[in-house]
Amino acid sequence: MSEYSVVGQKLPRVDAVEKVTGAAQYGADVHPAGMLYGKIVRSQHAHANILSIDTSEAEKLPGVRAIITQDDVPSGRRVFATDKVLYLGEPLAAVAATDPDIAEEAAELIKIEYEVLPVVQDVMESIKPSAPRLHGDATKDGPNRRNINAEIKKLADEVDSNSDEIRELEAELEKYADEVYYNISAESHTEAGDVEKGFAESDIVVEDTYFIPRVHQTYMEPHVSVASADSSGKITVWASTQGPFAIRSGIAGTLGIPLTQINVIGTTMGGGFGGRFGVIITHVPAVLLSQKSGRPVRVQMTREEEFLDGRPAPGCVIKLKTGATKDGHILARQALAFWDSGSVSGASIGSTIRVRGVYKIPNIKIDAYGVHTNKSGTAAYRAPGAPQAIFAGESQLDDIAEQIGMDPVKFRLMNMREEGDSVPAGGSEPKVGYKETLEAVADAAGWWDREANDNQGWGVAVGDWTNGCGPGGVYVSVHEDGSARIFHGSMDITGTDTAITQIIAEILTIPYANVTIRRGDTDSAPYSTGSGGSVVTFTMGNTAKLAAEDARRRILELAAERLNTNADDLELRDGAVHIITADPPKSISLGELAAYSLSTTGGPIVGKGSFARQPSTPALAAQIAKVEVDPDTGRTRVLKLVASQDVGFAINPMAVEGQIEGGTVQGYAWAMMEEMQYGENGNINPGFVDYRVPTSADLPTVESVIVEVPAPNGPYGAKGVGEPPITPTLATMANAVRDAIGVRITELPIKPEKVVEALKNNGHGA
Amino acid sequence: MKNFEYFEPTTLAEASRLFAQEHAQLLAGGTDLVIGMKAYTETPQSVISLQKIPDLAGITTDADNSITIGTMTKVREVELSKDIQQYHTALAEGASEIGSIQIRNLATIGGNIAHASPAADTVAGLLVADAQVNIIGADDERTVPINELFTGPGQTVLKPGEIITQFHLPSPASGSHYIKHKIREVMDLAFIGVASAVNLQNGVIKDARIGLAAVAPTPIRATEAENLLKGKIPTPELLQQAGEAAAAATSPISDLRCSAEHRKEMVDVLTRRTLQYALDRATR
Repeated sequence: MSEYSVVGQKLPRVDAVEKVTGAAQYGADVHPAGMLYGKIVRSQHAHANILSIDTSEAEKLPGVRAIITQDDVPSGRRVFATDKVLYLGEPLAAVAATDPDIAEEAAELIKIEYEVLPVVQDVMESIKPSAPRLHGDATKDGPNRRNINAEIKKLADEVDSNSDEIRELEAELEKYADEVYYNISAESHTEAGDVEKGFAESDIVVEDTYFIPRVHQTYMEPHVSVASADSSGKITVWASTQGPFAIRSGIAGTLGIPLTQINVIGTTMGGGFGGRFGVIITHVPAVLLSQKSGRPVRVQMTREEEFLDGRPAPGCVIKLKTGATKDGHILARQALAFWDSGSVSGASIGSTIRVRGVYKIPNIKIDAYGVHTNKSGTAAYRAPGAPQAIFAGESQLDDIAEQIGMDPVKFRLMNMREEGDSVPAGGSEPKVGYKETLEAVADAAGWWDREANDNQGWGVAVGDWTNGCGPGGVYVSVHEDGSARIFHGSMDITGTDTAITQIIAEILTIPYANVTIRRGDTDSAPYSTGSGGSVVTFTMGNTAKLAAEDARRRILELAAERLNTNADDLELRDGAVHIITADPPKSISLGELAAYSLSTTGGPIVGKGSFARQPSTPALAAQIAKVEVDPDTGRTRVLKLVASQDVGFAINPMAVEGQIEGGTVQGYAWAMMEEMQYGENGNINPGFVDYRVPTSADLPTVESVIVEVPAPNGPYGAKGVGEPPITPTLATMANAVRDAIGVRITELPIKPEKVVEALKNNGHGA
Repeated sequence: MKNFEYFEPTTLAEASRLFAQEHAQLLAGGTDLVIGMKAYTETPQSVISLQKIPDLAGITTDADNSITIGTMTKVREVELSKDIQQYHTALAEGASEIGSIQIRNLATIGGNIAHASPAADTVAGLLVADAQVNIIGADDERTVPINELFTGPGQTVLKPGEIITQFHLPSPASGSHYIKHKIREVMDLAFIGVASAVNLQNGVIKDARIGLAAVAPTPIRATEAENLLKGKIPTPELLQQAGEAAAAATSPISDLRCSAEHRKEMVDVLTRRTLQYALDRATR
């Protein structure tokens, strides 16, 4: 028996009915009177100088109400390209018209003259001196080259620039020409211990290069916003976003508008996965078009536009080297990673450190670079950067286990960090269920007595992630009928409103059905951090707990007054306050107290919770897949997929299982089929015909196993659960395929053609 | 989508006359056309619906087990027809591979063929059924064997105003099978499609037909491989030779889905496999 009655229960989501009946209001359902339809005019080339933009023909088209270019951005912040485009689909202008077809036609009438430039799409090409430079001479040399140049300059300041010393130095630096990278957008370097020494002491050293493609979050609802600027300058934006407050400050900053002149109303989100925080993708163009036309304007992306100008997850190339002793101790690991950040910086290069995993590795060296290519920029996608790095790390671990003849699960268990071990970031390892989670998945999947059948294989991998934390506020009111109403400003993301509701019902001891939740807009609700980084249940759960406890204080105060006793003698249970020692029992219901409160000096029952920061605890996801590979066609069928996760405490186990299943399936898709493909002129699969996401026919039911090792600062011990489950699946799948066919595939996705190729190279077939 | 004029003729003659105009498109199930119009890749000035013309849909089986399929027959009906499942298994299997059930309830077999995609899922099954395509024009009617219908990707021998009315499947084979090479289990486009049909007599292959999709500018028959099989007793070696001969008959392209080389290899593998399935069915 659980000590709780509402948290920890598999309760239906608070928004289940509105989702199922279609009553939920998404961005595209918003239609203010007089609304115009916006359309963004996009570059037809992946890399080109813009010679001219001529809007005159489009302006003449009846029904066109506004056309904007970068000239219409008063702050000068880049919203549209002006002199140069860096990717296919980059915005150049936008139109608003009375009808979507007119907007489309007007967009076609805008004449753009291009001077086409050479294109670079591959990071390994982009870092070469011969590659076209995306950002001109300003970034002709990468930061690391700048460091070397700085050295020369420093010396030149000290000595005669024509001296032999300088020439010697230059000659010396020439030797490192291969290590000078171009088109670098950012870099990150980490070192601990001495990897060279570690490799030297290793019995086995494995080295490989891993290729992970760029993938799209493929949320069901494309980006959409409706903006309305009124005559006083007040701006209202209905935004499909994970973070209304972030959008408010983003619009304010981009357009130089005072923060409180903008009200952002978050509409029900059709999926986000980290990709729904962008400000200039649709929100800013909608605001600018509304300001210019004086009418509300909707800007809604098509699926094709999502692929061309969304902000997907970066692909990357990771060179990884690991050394271990023959009895299974990992001694050193070194990574050199090139992340494809597209036209701007922002790829999650820092996540390269996740090749370390949750293992005791004394010597480590990480060098990571963000590299420009002629693609759109990137953004977060469910544990940004972790699936890529962990794919490399966990693939290589299996190869080492194989070489030393050790069971892959036992090898991992042996090397996992334990409570009290020193951690990379400093301090010591908290209590985390690393081993418990891996053991749980191995037991549930039947790992220990798995059979070796022809063409079948078993793969295991683990991935770690730590939830974020951010500010939030919650109010809870108790009404005269004994019900409670929650008011807050955070976007529901896959059941977080449900978790908040459960927590408040638990503390107020009233039935779950008697607690309702309402989200405010940025004008009305207390500030809330964005719904990303697995923060919501951790942050808003703690906030909700504080609010409910605040309300409970007032309830007990009122009851003490009413029952003429001390608050210490009172107990809140089953929706009423009881005098603990009274015989016969004496109590007063919450409804009665709420009614009574209306005529008191202290006033109604309103609990307030406000919370910003507490240290989070890492979470682990461990997965096992069993696959069957057809060696002739290269097609892989998943026979079993089991996923366990240390969730701290499952506030709603049904929602948690949903998260585990969803993340695992997304990881499976990245491993086996998803890939944004690029040709000479940009993305060539901008739609669901050739960008394949799996259907329910591709997978058996994912078996979820919940492990609960409480997080000290989480509400009821809960950790963020959304991101961890995607982190190991790429490697899980690759390891299972490796076990089935006996050949390691290091390039994702593992399409049939690659399997056939790999087997052929290994001597299979004709 | 762009503006267009919409017609709902009630006779084939009227439809043919309208369809003979420039920039006209026929609307059958609409699962290709409407999507193309929404994406502005199709911009017809007139759209002529075939929905109001009677007797264009339906599957009929004659006494000799020959089957006639009306052009407006839903792909889902082809998939579920007991007679097609029994006599032209490859065609029923091909139909079951198109899109989703919702799409198959809208899409028509005539549309799937007239669209002339080399990757159409019903085409390999029709090829190995030796289907005859009945066509009506403004002035006359004619019949074209399915393997002579296509001239290139999206191109057929159909002249302006000509409309496919029926597919006639003459002699049922004793066993046939279709395999689509793909990544996703359902709702994927064919990387390649292979259908084989065989007639067995006393353990000897009387005749065999092999239909290949997405391996050449048009769907093709692998006639050399078929000839290799004729009059022979099936053995693994024979099927291997047939697979190799079928692969040699192809001229695939490399594209974003896979390489030409992979397509050729898969023709070899899947020809052998479909032949084996077809033979198993024939001996059942």
